[in-house]
Amino acid sequence: MRLRLLALLTVIAALLSGCGYNTFQTTDEQVKAAWSEVLNQYQRRADLVPNLVNTVKGYASHEKEVLTQVTEARARVGGIQATPELINNPQAFAQFQQAQAGLSSVLSRLLVVAENYPQLKADGAFRDLQAQLEGTENRITVARNRYIKAVETYNVAVRTFPNNLTAMLFGYEVKPNFSVENEKAISTAPTVNFGK
Amino acid sequence: MLRLLSALLLTLWAALAGAEALQQVPALQARVTDLTATLTPAQHSQLEARLAAFEAEKGSQIAVLIVPTVKPEAIEQYAMRVVEQWKLGRKDVDDGVLLLIAKQDKKLRIEVGYGLEGALNDATARRIIAETITPRFKEGKFYEGIDAGIGRIITVVVGEPLPEPASAMPDSPELLSGFGVEELLIVGLAIVTGGTWLLRKVFGRFFGAAFAGGIAGSIALFFVSSMFVAGIVGFIVFIFSLLSGGRSSPWGSGGFGGGLGGGYGGSSSTDSGWSSSSSDSFSGGGGDFGGGGASGDW
Repeated sequence: MRLRLLALLTVIAALLSGCGYNTFQTTDEQVKAAWSEVLNQYQRRADLVPNLVNTVKGYASHEKEVLTQVTEARARVGGIQATPELINNPQAFAQFQQAQAGLSSVLSRLLVVAENYPQLKADGAFRDLQAQLEGTENRITVARNRYIKAVETYNVAVRTFPNNLTAMLFGYEVKPNFSVENEKAISTAPTVNFGK
Repeated sequence: MLRLLSALLLTLWAALAGAEALQQVPALQARVTDLTATLTPAQHSQLEARLAAFEAEKGSQIAVLIVPTVKPEAIEQYAMRVVEQWKLGRKDVDDGVLLLIAKQDKKLRIEVGYGLEGALNDATARRIIAETITPRFKEGKFYEGIDAGIGRIITVVVGEPLPEPASAMPDSPELLSGFGVEELLIVGLAIVTGGTWLLRKVFGRFFGAAFAGGIAGSIALFFVSSMFVAGIVGFIVFIFSLLSGGRSSPWGSGGFGGGLGGGYGGSSSTDSGWSSSSSDSFSGGGGDFGGGGASGDW
């Protein structure tokens, strides 16, 4: 009788420590840290934009279209409350991602436009800004990759048995991950037009 | 026909394999790794000595890697893989720098660790590449370009206040992540004194002690997630509660209580942040990189 009770208690003790609750804590914290780094780098990029726009304006003020587009996209990014809680809300997450992708695309267009202005390209401040922007884009890529890996670890922990039971009990849900932003653009073949 | 088909398949496979395979990251053995035989042995050892002297003086690790090509990846991606494997720079100081040169691609990159991103920022790294290194590379003077580039990197890093280089081995790796041994002992003692009395009332001497040991072990496991530490804690509690208050039990010292927390093998091995300062063997100190730096071409 006593022995049976002991065996039962043993099993319970083992279950308590092996239920994955600790794994959730660890991986959840890693996801948060990785996400903070992503936000940090996006913020860094957003901070660079006003300087970049001003520098380009000095040499190519009549490129109003792309300059306003950049400013607008920057404002859209700034309008989203980029909080750490964003990762628990798939909808807000998608919106955030979309805004950042919008800024990425107009920024690259701005750099293409800048190619047409030799004086601008020769400007030391512009080249420094360009290097900073490139570096930041690279940091964003790295931070996103690390976030993707952290979320993968977390999601695997949440979804595998028997952890999924604990996850249900304590309300841990699968977190959204980054997807390819321009999925459609990649899957459609580019058109080449020699007309112009 | 069959031969034609198999030949076709073979070429297709070769093409696919060629497209898929990423460039290998070479093992880190020296500060200067030249896979293209660009540097003469004398130049090689000169650079090596310069970088070693700088690490001894300042603590930062700078490494040079010359590869034929980084294709199919971009140089940024390859550089990231290299530094993630090499872990240049001291742990938590993150003061590593990699100068990567892809000779056939005519591309180079300065990859900067987290700790040096302030001093050796992207703009500075770009200037070092554009003003110092690539003009010499264009003339085919690879050693001169690398040497001058390293010189400027060193000048920048010297101006940055960093922790002193460790003369001996750094402090021993932490046994318990987050929890000090003392705290754990206090918690354990409270549990033992409070819980043992009750458990022994309910279960008797041996089972009470075994149960107390099991609970203590489980709790320890919960906090430190290391089977080894949990086992020790459980065993100590078991012995303590078995022997406390009166004669020993007829079963003697059965090591039973400690092993109760089984089924959780997540022992957390912390990275010991050793940076070898001997000149013959070189290894990264555990520094982290976040993608900072600049790229260029010639």
